Amino acid sequence: MRWYGPQDTTGLDYARDLGDPGEYPYTRGRRPIDTTSSWIQRELSGEGSPSRSNGQFRGLIAAGATGVDVIGDTATMALIDPDHSMAAASVGTTGVSLCRLADYIELYDEMPLDRITVSHSLNAPFCVAGLNLAARHHGYDAAQVRGSVINAPIYSEDCGYATHMPYDLRVRLALDTITFCVKEMPKFHSFVEDTYYISDGGLDVVEEMALGFVEIREVTRRLIERGLSVDSFAPRIAILVNCRMDLFEEVAKVRASRRMYARMMREEYGATDPRSLAVNISVHTSGLTMTAPQPVNNVVRGAVQALAMAMAGVQAIEISTFDEAFRTPGHEAHIVALRTQQVIAEETGVSKVVDPFGGSWFIESLTDELEDRISNKIAEIERKGEISVLAEDGYFRSILNDGMSRHARAIQSGELRQVGVNCHTMPPAEDTLLRDLSESRFAPDTAHIARIRDWKSTRHPDRLAHALAAISQAAKDPEADLMAPIIDGYQADATQGEMASALRLGYGLAADPFAGKVVRR
Amino acid sequence: MKVRIVVGIIGLDQHEVGAIAIARLLTLHGFEVIYLGRFQTPQSMIAAAVDEGAQVVGASCHSWEFISFAPELAALAKQEGVAVVLGGSVITPGDAVRLRRAGIDAVFGPLVTERQIIDEITRLVA
Repeated sequence: MRWYGPQDTTGLDYARDLGDPGEYPYTRGRRPIDTTSSWIQRELSGEGSPSRSNGQFRGLIAAGATGVDVIGDTATMALIDPDHSMAAASVGTTGVSLCRLADYIELYDEMPLDRITVSHSLNAPFCVAGLNLAARHHGYDAAQVRGSVINAPIYSEDCGYATHMPYDLRVRLALDTITFCVKEMPKFHSFVEDTYYISDGGLDVVEEMALGFVEIREVTRRLIERGLSVDSFAPRIAILVNCRMDLFEEVAKVRASRRMYARMMREEYGATDPRSLAVNISVHTSGLTMTAPQPVNNVVRGAVQALAMAMAGVQAIEISTFDEAFRTPGHEAHIVALRTQQVIAEETGVSKVVDPFGGSWFIESLTDELEDRISNKIAEIERKGEISVLAEDGYFRSILNDGMSRHARAIQSGELRQVGVNCHTMPPAEDTLLRDLSESRFAPDTAHIARIRDWKSTRHPDRLAHALAAISQAAKDPEADLMAPIIDGYQADATQGEMASALRLGYGLAADPFAGKVVRR
Repeated sequence: MKVRIVVGIIGLDQHEVGAIAIARLLTLHGFEVIYLGRFQTPQSMIAAAVDEGAQVVGASCHSWEFISFAPELAALAKQEGVAVVLGGSVITPGDAVRLRRAGIDAVFGPLVTERQIIDEITRLVA
């Protein structure tokens, strides 16, 4: 244990390094005091069919959620249709099953898209195209829709959202999605850098933010190379960060990231619009910190993490729910997580003050230290070579694997303390509180699979073939835009799986990434 | 001779932390791990075990897909004379009973200790 004093912040210059909230370099917050609104309170949701998920969203909004956060099931995330044999065991069990325009229309049915923000953990181009068409279908002006989608092309194959597409195609899709939104959906954050999913295998805060910044920098450079002005897209970049249990480190990480982002955008990329400099940061609290033993302890963990992030001044919070270790969030867990946010917002006083840690010798010193370490790590990675080459050579994959292995070692050795796991354990026979919820399950949505299969046979074959051929053709031409043919594809009743296959074919790859796997049912 | 064990994740689930942790633990305890990673099927796991002369196949489970693939995995393993184990935080005590009945040789839920995992796998290949 140690303590901090004035000697630890001797180099700190208020105007240069902190600034008031809402002032460059935005260390203390992206906005000046705004007493009218709290952070966006939302929970990761989606289960079964689009209509079932729609019911789940409406239930959360009725319970006070101020935003919706959609995640697709494993097949949707991998751009595999629900009627694919690899998907049969999981359709709808880890998120919503989405593959066609009608699904998006059903998902947002009677959702107040003019009043709430809709955030998405979905494949960006397919999500944006589906949302755009569905919003229009429901009578909304897509240009007014607020929300976000994760768009993280560099690391997706390595850490959980693999779509079996090559680097070049993934980056093109990301750039095309952002370019589309600059024109068509200017209020929508089409570039959410998701450092949560990069890091929740076990990376530390420095690796998390360094990899995040490396991706933001690469995508920014590529967009500028395309001729876009930095101020046309930078206001709609957001970062979805992780939050583990070391709350001071996590708060300092958010503060350091805001400062680094502002300086980078102004000094390196020449941004001048204040909205390009003040980055929007949201958080998804760490699922890795949630334990299967003594699950009730996870309620406490979620509360500590959410409180830390409220004090860090993030724009939105999603708490990993207490049942994280054994299932996709159930209804009870969703409500507990939402209530946790509401208790923090309504009862603790954190909503009355911006950046309560500002000026703390410890936090300011830690913010400086993290800024240095993250900056050094970014420079170290960028010195190694072209990002595309590093990605294809497995360099990033090795960082992620090392992180996972290091985390496992730290838990096994007891170096990283986890109550109920490697300290303060309890005999399984006594560890019964909330345990019954782990036995509550729902089956893969076979009715939805059948619905999709039946519907596929009713489509107009020529129209569909034409739309898919156009996607393959566009993929072959490195200069062609991929968003327009995807939107046309949805309107011609093409599915995400079919369109992803058409893109792969355009790159000379196998249409079905699992074609070699024998799956008997 | 070292015991050889194939480790992978079956289906579309992309959570890999558990599989990497268990592969590391087994290696530390002297097992030879053939790590297959994500997107496996019962067939691909068993085929790898046969190719590599492994005595055990282990699937890491972080989604409910195991409920569907376990019977086939057990049947194929039996056919090839390979032991089969499943582990993961999503596996409940109720699952453990059902999985053993379905022919899975050992099942490790979230409350199991490292010692129990090592001892159980060692016993399976003895």
